[in-house]
Amino acid sequence: MSFALSGLGVTSGIAIGRVHRLTPGELFIPEYHLKPDAVEPEIERLQHAFSRGDAFLKSLLGRLDDGGGETARELLEAHRLILRDPMLIEASESMVRELRINAEWALVRQTEILQAEFRRMADDYLSLRREDLEQAISLVQRELADQPATLIGSQVPHELSDTVLVASELGPAEMTVLAQRKVAGLITEHGGPWSHSAILARSLEIPMLVGVPHALELLSEDETVILDGHYGAVLANPDEGLLGHYRDKREAWQRRLLDLRRYLVRPSRTIDEQPFTLLGNADLAPEFERCRNAGVEGIGLMRTEYLYLGDSLPDEDSQYRAYRAGVERMQGRPITIRTLDVGGDKLPAELAFTQGPNPALGLRGIRLSLAMGDLFSQQLRAILRASVHGPVEILLPMLTSRDEIRLARAAVSRCREALRGEGVHVDPELPIGGMIETPAAALIADELAEELDFFSIGTNDLIQYLLAIDRSDELVNYIYDPSHPAILKLLRSIRDAGQRHNISVTVCGEMAGNERTARLLLGLGLTRLSMPPALLPAVKRSLVEADAGQCRRLVDRYLSGGSAQISGQSLLDALNDSTSAT
Amino acid sequence: MIERPITLVNRLGLHARAASKLVQTASRFESQIWIERDGRCVNAKSIMGVLLLAAPCGEELLLRTDGEDEEQAMAALRALIDSRFGEDE
Repeated sequence: MSFALSGLGVTSGIAIGRVHRLTPGELFIPEYHLKPDAVEPEIERLQHAFSRGDAFLKSLLGRLDDGGGETARELLEAHRLILRDPMLIEASESMVRELRINAEWALVRQTEILQAEFRRMADDYLSLRREDLEQAISLVQRELADQPATLIGSQVPHELSDTVLVASELGPAEMTVLAQRKVAGLITEHGGPWSHSAILARSLEIPMLVGVPHALELLSEDETVILDGHYGAVLANPDEGLLGHYRDKREAWQRRLLDLRRYLVRPSRTIDEQPFTLLGNADLAPEFERCRNAGVEGIGLMRTEYLYLGDSLPDEDSQYRAYRAGVERMQGRPITIRTLDVGGDKLPAELAFTQGPNPALGLRGIRLSLAMGDLFSQQLRAILRASVHGPVEILLPMLTSRDEIRLARAAVSRCREALRGEGVHVDPELPIGGMIETPAAALIADELAEELDFFSIGTNDLIQYLLAIDRSDELVNYIYDPSHPAILKLLRSIRDAGQRHNISVTVCGEMAGNERTARLLLGLGLTRLSMPPALLPAVKRSLVEADAGQCRRLVDRYLSGGSAQISGQSLLDALNDSTSAT
Repeated sequence: MIERPITLVNRLGLHARAASKLVQTASRFESQIWIERDGRCVNAKSIMGVLLLAAPCGEELLLRTDGEDEEQAMAALRALIDSRFGEDE
């Protein structure tokens, strides 16, 4: 019987595949760092897991009928040898000890190392089968997860390109695994468009639907489904006609993506030779990879909020490792790290007191950091330590005054001095920039420019604060309009201030990542844009095919009186028709 | 510590099944046991280490045992290798 379910599409893609339901019994491998005193207990936990896995195999061997299957016996014996292998056990233990990582993670890493070694061996006959190693290791992982193996225990398959995964909710760690296994599509019962998994799905271009109630009960294992992200629909058991229609649609969508990617290798110049700069927004490891592969000149915005959204505050070392991982992934291209900017999200208990009556206008961004000096120092130390490994810039959010910058700079200097005492030498010229996202900051941009090394314009907040509307309020969100003349005038004046003081101005809100409004920015002379990696190809095409001079003339005319005659929408239409795609 | 050169005489060399037998035999002893080939030295109680040696027939290996029962360990391993791991040829 065919039927349809509805939810919220977080990407506009289409997926066709068989349902795999991720029921709570399945394993995901957690990865985290350990406090020093947790290392020895963790090693014991690992040893116990190995010996319990081995005991499980032994009990299976004991049950094997002597007449039945030498192959099964040999296989189990081979697995037992693997589980007692010092190259696996001792090496994993020393990883736990030296890298201070949890047992599961150490095991994953050591297994990868061994598999790489075996892959290098040319002779199939001599080489250990990859599956043997994986199956044996999965027994240990099950023990570590306190979900001992059973004979019917299932796991997430390795190849998911034909699979639409259905889950209650997905975390970022799980998303990373699923993305690596090239899952075709995702359906979750819970979660919203801004949950971590949704943001990641957008950035990884995985078709995904969130908020599909009872999907786990209503969809059966192995059933064929169509996931239509554009209409937010799941079509279960479709007939051949519908399948054919969607296969064509999917193909067209994939062709478009491929077409767009070709623009990534083109030089960043408009048709009239105006150079522009594309940067990436990235928080998590796969996003850094994708930005680098898309050829960005750097990371314009690394948000750090996700580090703080757990149950407790992150320590300096875990932050340092996250920042350093980003720095190293960009291989010498600069990354701009924005200090903590929580406001209204789910916060760890230690920060719950910051929830005022209106989070958007409350203790957030730089205000929170300056109010909690220890928290700020900890983050700055982690950023400065990471800056030793490659070019880093610090970005201060929610500025409204010069004093905030001076206080923040003093905090940076104190941390730098303290680090020098510990033998860590940080570049004294490390650039410190500010977010221009409040009307106040925009209006005193000239003053702020004297204190800052660069500007970064957060258009989402700037538009909301300037037009005095909350976008999530359906009664007024129609007023949200990036082409509002007040916005354009303010953007231009920020750009002019940057130019007068010879500092760079980057736009990192949604306006930068939209192919239509990117031309509006080009017309305003804002040519440094930062956006999520998935949006880079379309914006690059839009700018490569734009006539910058023509865009400037259209925006100039609009701002010098034209806005009385034509709407912002007509301006956007004109900007995007002004040059034909050749 | 004892050190002895030994030549693989079975046709297939240290393939998967032979390696398993070698590791199982080595694991019965307390001594530390090492096999060296071409300057690469592995723990004889590690199935993956032994497989990674990828030693073919006719190859000369260096066997090293060290510990209380090093004599017995050396004798058992030599016997196993000389008997071609129980294979027909």
